[in-house]
Amino acid sequence: MADIQFNHVGVKYPNGFVGLSDVTLDIPAGSMVGVVGLSGAGKSTLIRSINGLVPISSGELNVGDHRLSNARGRELRQLRSEVGMIFQSFNLARRTTVLNNVLMGRLHHTSAWRSLLGAWQHDDVELAMSALERVEIVSKAYEKASSLSGGQQQRVAIARTLAQQPQIVLADEPVASLDPPTSHVVMRDLQRINADLGITVIVNLHFLDLARTYCTRLIGMREGRVVFDGAGADADERVFESIYGRSLTAADVLEAKAEL
Amino acid sequence: MTAIGALGAVTANVRPVKPRQRGKVVATLLVLAAITVWAGLGVQIDLPEIVANFSNAVGNVVQLTQPDYGFFPKTIPALVETVDMAVIATVIGSAISLPIAFFASRATNPNTWLLMGLRFVMNLIRSIPDILLAAILVAVVGVGALPGIMALVIFNIGIIVKLVSEALDGEDTGPHEAALAAGASWLKAGRSAMLPQILPAYASQVLYTFEINIRASTVIGLVGAGGLGILIDNVRSFFRYHELSLIILEILLLVVLLESFSAWLRKRLI
Ligand SMILES: Nc1ncnc2c1ncn2[C@@H]1O[C@H](COP(=O)(O)OP(=O)(O)OP(=O)(O)O)[C@@H](O)[C@H]1O
Ligand SMILES: [Mg+2]
Repeated sequence: MADIQFNHVGVKYPNGFVGLSDVTLDIPAGSMVGVVGLSGAGKSTLIRSINGLVPISSGELNVGDHRLSNARGRELRQLRSEVGMIFQSFNLARRTTVLNNVLMGRLHHTSAWRSLLGAWQHDDVELAMSALERVEIVSKAYEKASSLSGGQQQRVAIARTLAQQPQIVLADEPVASLDPPTSHVVMRDLQRINADLGITVIVNLHFLDLARTYCTRLIGMREGRVVFDGAGADADERVFESIYGRSLTAADVLEAKAEL
Repeated sequence: MTAIGALGAVTANVRPVKPRQRGKVVATLLVLAAITVWAGLGVQIDLPEIVANFSNAVGNVVQLTQPDYGFFPKTIPALVETVDMAVIATVIGSAISLPIAFFASRATNPNTWLLMGLRFVMNLIRSIPDILLAAILVAVVGVGALPGIMALVIFNIGIIVKLVSEALDGEDTGPHEAALAAGASWLKAGRSAMLPQILPAYASQVLYTFEINIRASTVIGLVGAGGLGILIDNVRSFFRYHELSLIILEILLLVVLLESFSAWLRKRLI
C-alpha cells in the first residue's frame, strides 16, 4: 500500500529559501491527516513535495514504491497518477465542459493520440461519470466549468482526482475560497473519500476547528518544521501556541455548520 | 489574514527601497530623439521638387479618379486568385501554427533551449517583409500564385505563433498544473488544459491574419506572386491609370468588405 515516509526531508527553493527542514513523518495508507500552520509555515511545500511538484533537496521521501528523489520523467508521472491533488483555486479549465475536466484525471492512462484528438475511451468516460456521481454533480457533466459555483467547481476537482483512482489525495487549502456551509460540504466529501474508499487524504487547512472536526491526525507546522503531530483531541491551547506563536482567536475557527 | 501579519512582523516587515528608474527613462528619450533627427536627415525630404512636379501629378490623379469600369471582367480571375491565396494561406498557416505555438510558450514547454530556438526563428521570420519573402520565393519556384501562398503561409506562421504563444503565456497555468499533477505529460496537459482556454483567442488571431492576408495578397503580386498585384504591375508599366484606378477601387472594396466581415465574426467569438 501507499504509505508515505518523510525521512529528514529538507526543501530548499532555487532562491535559497528553506521551505522544509528536517521533516520526519510516517503517514500510513488510509490516514486522514490535517496540516495546519500560519501562512508561510510550509504547508503547501510539504504537500507538494509528495507528488514532486516541489523537488526535495535533502533526506528521503518514499511514497508507496516510489522514491521521490530519483523519480523523474515516466516514473514521476506514474507516481503522480496514483496521487490526486486538489487546489485552493480549483484549477479547472473553465472554458471546457465539466466532463472534460474530470477526464483530465485519466490522461496518464490515455495514449498520446487519443488525448490529442480528445477521443476518450468509453471506460474512462464511465469512470469520470461515476466520479461525478460520487460528488453528486453528474447532472452538470456537459456544462461549462465556468458556469459552476465555487463549491461545485471544487467538487468537480474532487471528481477529477477520483477519476485517477488514486491511493492518496492531497488537498491544498481546498476550502479557503469557499463560504462556511460549502466548506463543510467539501470537507465531508473528502472525509467520505477517505472512509469509503480507503484513500489517504492529506489536507492543508487554515482553520483549526475544521482540521479537528474532519481529520483523525493533525500535523502542525511552523517555519518549515513539524512542531506538532498527534490526534486532534491532543491539540490543546499549549500546542496551539507552539504552532501559531500566540493564543487561539476567533479568526482561527470556522464556526458555521453545514446546511444539509 | 491575521496570520500573515503576525508572521510578517517577525520576519519581513521592512519597507524595500524604491528602485530608481529615472536614468533609464532619460537615456531612452535621448536615444529616441537622436534616431528621429537622424532618420529625417537620412530620407532627405525635398519640398521644392514636390512643388515642381505638381502639375504632372494632378493629371495622373485626375485619371485615377476615373476608373475604367469596362476593364472589370478582365480583373475577375486575378481578383478570385487574390481571395483564394488569402484563404488557402490562412488555413494552412494557422493549422501549422497551432502546435508550434505550444512549443513557443513558457507555459506549455519546459525545454528552455527549444523555446529560445523557436522564438528566435519566429522573430527572424517576422522580420522579413512579406513582399521580400514573395520575391525570394518567386525566384525559387517561379511566377504564380504558389510562391504567393508560400510567402503568406510563412508570414502567417510568424504572426500566429507569436500571438498565440503570448496568449498561452498570459493564461492561468492552474489547470495545466492540475493535469501535470495527475500524471499527464506536458503535451497531453497542454492539449487538454490549455487548448480549450486559448481557442477563442486563436480563432480571433486566425481571422486577424486573414485580414492581413487579404491586404498582403493584393500587393505581393507586384513581384510576380499571383493575384491582383501582377495585374497592377502590368497596367502601371503602361501608364493605364484608368485601369489602375479600377483595381485600386476593387482592392479597397474587397479589403473593407472582408475586414468588416471578419471583425464582425471576431466580435461574436469573444
Ligand atoms: N517557489 C518558491 N520560491 C521561493 N520561495 C518559496 C517558493 N514557494 C514558497 N516559498 C516560500 O516558502 C515558504 C513556505 O511556503 P508555503 O507555500 O509552503 O507556505 P504555506 O504554509 O502553504 O502558506 P499559505 O498558508 O500562505 O499557503 C514561504 O515563506 C514562501 O515564501
Ligand atoms: Mg499554501
